[in-house]
Amino acid sequence: MSLVAYTLAVFILLTAIATALFRDVLSAIVVFGAYSLGMAILYTYLLAPDVAMTEAAIGAGVTTILLLLTIARTSRPPTDQLFERINVPAVVVVSGFVLVMLATVLPDMYEVGSQTAPAWANEEVTQYYIQNAYDDTGVQNAVTAVLASYRGFDTFGEAVVVFAAGIAVLLVLKREVFV
Amino acid sequence: MTTELINDIFLVAAALFVVLAIAMFYRAVAGPTTQDRLLAVNVLGTNTVVILALLAAGLDQPWFLDVALIYALLNFLMAIAISKFTVERGGVL
Repeated sequence: MSLVAYTLAVFILLTAIATALFRDVLSAIVVFGAYSLGMAILYTYLLAPDVAMTEAAIGAGVTTILLLLTIARTSRPPTDQLFERINVPAVVVVSGFVLVMLATVLPDMYEVGSQTAPAWANEEVTQYYIQNAYDDTGVQNAVTAVLASYRGFDTFGEAVVVFAAGIAVLLVLKREVFV
Repeated sequence: MTTELINDIFLVAAALFVVLAIAMFYRAVAGPTTQDRLLAVNVLGTNTVVILALLAAGLDQPWFLDVALIYALLNFLMAIAISKFTVERGGVL
């Protein structure tokens, strides 16, 4: 972790808190866009460009429009105050719970590139993907190669599930278009 | 100057841009109207593209530029959607 990562972490934390506290929903959606920008840079910095691209497309693009469509169909109560009132006991309980969970889970996680991590338990398989991913698929990033090519049918199945769910929603609502 | 020194300068510049992003975030929170917030987040998006480009140069990872390009394209989407929403009261697409 370097200077960039730490300042990014501060930025992401600030945007997340602001998103949670804003009373006006439209402002919360705008600030949530800023949160997504920070997350995309952090994913890129941690060498996960495929995740960063998904975050860029879903977080900044699709989510904003979905949320806007939602509040266009509901009413926004007018408010005088900028932020939500904070319920201190609830904040203490929830953050205490999250801290305890993190403290139990984080020590068991492996270092990045650790040779004892489960990914190396079956070294032949791991080495196969590292050595042949580019020749097999033409994708430079091994993670992207596994997601989009080796597990292509799995991803295709997920797409079919989402498609079927969309059709089912249209059938239940008895309409022909979503918007 | 050595390449390492130049790369370090790129990384420090990226960190400074992140600090600027936090300054811009003040406007996104304080800004009295939604339009102020929208503009602030739009500038943040442009800022993000610059940071990603600097990281691509500093860390020698040219594919970061792909992410920067996608962000440059999608940055307009949110601004247009929210502008349409506030002008037409409810129309998004």
